[in-house]
Amino acid sequence: MSASTDSTVLADQLARVALGDRAALRRVYEMSSAHLFGVALRILNRRDLAEDVLQDAFVSVWHRAGDYRAVAGQPMTWLISIVRNKALDVVRSASHRYETALPEDDEGRVLDIEDDRPDPLGLLGEAVEALAIRSCMDRLEASHRQSLALAYYHGLSHSEVAERMAAPLGSVKAWVRRGLERLKRCLEAQG
Amino acid sequence: MNYERRELMDRLASEYALGTLRGPALRRFRRLLASSDLARDAVRTWERRLATLAVSVPAEPPSPRVWRGIEARIAPQVRRKSLWQWLKPVLGVACGVILGVAVTLGLVRGMPEVFTTLDAGAEREQALPQSYVGLLLDAESRPTVLASSTRHGKRVTLKILRPIDVPAGKVLQLWALPQDANGQPLAPIPLGVVPAQGRGGFDMPDTAERLLSNVPRLGITVQDAPASPGDTPGDFLLQGHCAKLW
Repeated sequence: MSASTDSTVLADQLARVALGDRAALRRVYEMSSAHLFGVALRILNRRDLAEDVLQDAFVSVWHRAGDYRAVAGQPMTWLISIVRNKALDVVRSASHRYETALPEDDEGRVLDIEDDRPDPLGLLGEAVEALAIRSCMDRLEASHRQSLALAYYHGLSHSEVAERMAAPLGSVKAWVRRGLERLKRCLEAQG
Repeated sequence: MNYERRELMDRLASEYALGTLRGPALRRFRRLLASSDLARDAVRTWERRLATLAVSVPAEPPSPRVWRGIEARIAPQVRRKSLWQWLKPVLGVACGVILGVAVTLGLVRGMPEVFTTLDAGAEREQALPQSYVGLLLDAESRPTVLASSTRHGKRVTLKILRPIDVPAGKVLQLWALPQDANGQPLAPIPLGVVPAQGRGGFDMPDTAERLLSNVPRLGITVQDAPASPGDTPGDFLLQGHCAKLW
């Protein structure tokens, strides 16, 4: 099934969801949940939290499917935004920070825990390849691409990106901004 | 709107959609989003751009419990019905606070209007304020009275789920049936008078937390007059669990 057919089917099902059709919500779930769960899992790095977010997101879709028709664009975009925003809310909440604080050894040194998420820069590379904007995005410096990728795929804040990249906060803010501007230009040029 | 402001709006929208906008800047932008179509459009445009980047994220099937949870949350009527069907046979022999919590929680979720008179303010934001909730059953184990009080409140709110047959001139008396730390029964405490139907309420002499923290069960008797402290209850017309919900 082509991407555009998928989109049409999803949009039709969302219209039915807006009318209170539970079976349609189930179809939307079947078509999109694995991808949406992947998105949440990259940001949260914990299955239980990502599952909670996915559940919340679909309850929102149930109540807000009527909003979808007012929004121009792909249904998947709308769904991804709902999931990302909910995942970011969790990331921003203090309780999550506490729960995911790095474990310490007996002397209070932070133990390194393995982050088994795929490399975000690699994900960005694959995405721009798929979107046929690689050559355009490659004009961006690697550090700028890296900071955009960490913020997007892992949901990191500016200061977290700065920490991860061992770079000054001010530089990271500028890099992320340039990354966003470049993405906008590349997508617009590509049409 | 001048160009500079439009630029700034676009930049804030991009960072909002990306997720890097945090703290006071995030709060200010959320307020703007609530009132400005322009801001909402800018965010949507950025969400659309950024969502294209998700194309490379590997799909991962979620556990089946996610869908079950969604189904339960979008179909409260269905769940309430099956809960009632489930209640009847189980409650007759039920004991233990855990079951009491499960049952009353299910019921209370199904009847949020019972709580509309409870404390406003911060507690309103939660689905349910911290409460003591009692569900009293008749001799045939049918849920008959729902009693609730916020944890630190004195007011008991009553909802009569099935009309109660009260002889003329008599009153329905609600009792707390406390236990000591070893689970041995202590003297029952009269709490207040219950109407025969509809809704009602009364104020307790102290907060629910003080009076009910060691009370696993409640009972209702038919009396000639409201009971006083030290009185002993007769036969219970209705009895049930009292659970802490928090």
